[in-house]
Amino acid sequence: MSTFDVTLPSDTEILMVRTFDAPRHLVRRAMSEPELLKRWLGGKRTTVTRVDNDQRVGGSYRQEFLNPDGSTFFFTGTYSEVSDERIVHTELFNGEPPPAIIESTLLEKSGKTVLSVLSRFPSKEIRDMVVATGMSDGAGESYDALAALLPTLT
Amino acid sequence: MERHIRSMVTTFTALAEPNRFRIVELLRSGPRPVNDIGERLGLNQPQVSKHLKVLKAAGLVEVEQRAQQRVYDLRGEPLRELHAWLERYRHFWEERFDLLDGVLEELKTAERKRKKARNR
Repeated sequence: MSTFDVTLPSDTEILMVRTFDAPRHLVRRAMSEPELLKRWLGGKRTTVTRVDNDQRVGGSYRQEFLNPDGSTFFFTGTYSEVSDERIVHTELFNGEPPPAIIESTLLEKSGKTVLSVLSRFPSKEIRDMVVATGMSDGAGESYDALAALLPTLT
Repeated sequence: MERHIRSMVTTFTALAEPNRFRIVELLRSGPRPVNDIGERLGLNQPQVSKHLKVLKAAGLVEVEQRAQQRVYDLRGEPLRELHAWLERYRHFWEERFDLLDGVLEELKTAERKRKKARNR
């Protein structure tokens, strides 16, 4: 079983950690090649209509999506750091500044890869808005689970 | 949706202050009078009152007058909403990563086949 954690390390950040049963070079490929990105970036309901990805320092990317209701949206940004174990890029939703900064770290351990994605938003309001528009439905209802998700602020 | 987001932001702002978060954590075990909250968290009366006021405005706690004491209790609704909010985000990313698992399985199989062919 793979584990998946989503936490809020600070007011302006979201951190996701997920383990994949594959070596790092394959996870890197699936995160770089447009044809592979198209197959998973949309989740189950959204169609990925276009992916351009020039994944090198200073290079830019563009991802276009189609919702089941016919509406569309896109993400764009540029890469500031690209290596086997780390990718840093900006992210603009529908071209609207200011951008978020996304830092992805990949650690390989005995054939498995732990991917950490830290998203830094320009403000708390934008961070909250991004989470609120987090597509699909499926809601759990336990405060214990919430406590586990929230950062320990003591 | 707009109203929904606003109430979410209010909940977050209220919880973002460490002492207020500690108050909410403390009240999870049951309702408590103001002075008890202050004692347990090492806060003076004005500090506790100030924080409780913010938590009350965010709908996170409710107050009841019992004899000489004002007793504060947790309200579940904003917390459940907040949890649902994070869950939706998590759910979307879970879908993405589950699909990525499928892509990786294919890449692994293809790589194994190539290695086998080379060793032959």
